[in-house]
Amino acid sequence: MTATARSAGFDSLQFLDGATKRVIKAWIEREERRPIPWTPLKKPLGECRIALISSAGVALREGEPFDQEGERRNPWWGDPSFRVIPRSACSEDVRLCHLHIDRSFGESDLDCVLPLARLGELAEEGVIGEAAPSHYSFMGYLLDADEFLRTSVPAIIQRLKEEQVDAVALVPV
Amino acid sequence: MGLAQREIEAAGIATVSLSMIPDFTAAPGVPRVAAIAYPNGRPLGNPRDARGQQAVLEAALRVLEEAEEPGTVTTLPFVWPEPAKQVRRESHGETPPIGQLIKRKPWLYLKLVSGEIPRAD
Repeated sequence: MTATARSAGFDSLQFLDGATKRVIKAWIEREERRPIPWTPLKKPLGECRIALISSAGVALREGEPFDQEGERRNPWWGDPSFRVIPRSACSEDVRLCHLHIDRSFGESDLDCVLPLARLGELAEEGVIGEAAPSHYSFMGYLLDADEFLRTSVPAIIQRLKEEQVDAVALVPV
Repeated sequence: MGLAQREIEAAGIATVSLSMIPDFTAAPGVPRVAAIAYPNGRPLGNPRDARGQQAVLEAALRVLEEAEEPGTVTTLPFVWPEPAKQVRRESHGETPPIGQLIKRKPWLYLKLVSGEIPRAD
C-alpha cells in the first residue's frame, strides 16, 4: 500500500500565517509516495495499554529542559532529544520548551497537548485498558530529523516494548 | 511527527496521530490520522475543558480500532468555536529564532522552503 493524497476535508493550513503556510505546503509537495507500515490493533481498545507522544517539548521541571539556547545560536537546529513523562505528571510538574508554538495553553493545562488526565479517565471508564506508566515528548521543530530518528525514536520504541504498550497516540502541536 | 509514527508502527505497535495539520502529518505516509480542525497549540481543545478534551481523545483513539487500511485519514466531528481569522489575529506566539533570522536575511527564506537546511550556520 502506498501513500495517497487523501485529504481531511478541511483546510489543513487555515490557522497558520502566510509565510509558514508556504513553507509547509512546499514540504508536503516534496514528500515521495512510499509504502505505509501497518500493524493492526491486536485486541479491543478496551483492553489496550496506551502511551502518548507529544511534540510540544514537554519537560519535567525537576529534569533537564530542551536546549533552546542551542536553537537561538543556530536557528536551523532543534534539540533532537526526548523526555519521559510519567503517567502521574500534571501541569504543575512540567514546562514547555518550544519556540514555535504558543506555550500558554499547554502550560496552563497540560491536557491541551499531552492529555494524561483524560487518558486516565478513559481507562477508568473502560474505553481503554490502561494508560502506560511512561509517556514521551520531544520538541517538534526539527528541520533535519536524522539524529532524532537515529537516536530518540529507537530509544522510545525500546521503552514502549519494555512496557508492553499496545498502541500509541501521537499528538503534534 | 509522521516519520516517528512510521517507525513505531513498523516496530509492531499500532499508532494514530491526532493532527491539526493532517495534510502535513500524513505526507510521509502514515497509517492512521485523526484530523481535527483545531488551532495550533491546542490539539485537544481549550485549557480546563475536560469534557471537550476527553471527547477528542476518545474519538482519536477510536480511529485505532476503526481504520481498516494504511493511510486512513478520519476527520473528527469537532468544530472550533472561533473563525480561523480571529484565531490568527489573537495568536500570541513569539517570533522563533528562524523567523528572526529570515527577517534579517530574507533570502534565507528560500532555503527553508526548498528544504536545503544548512548543517551549521
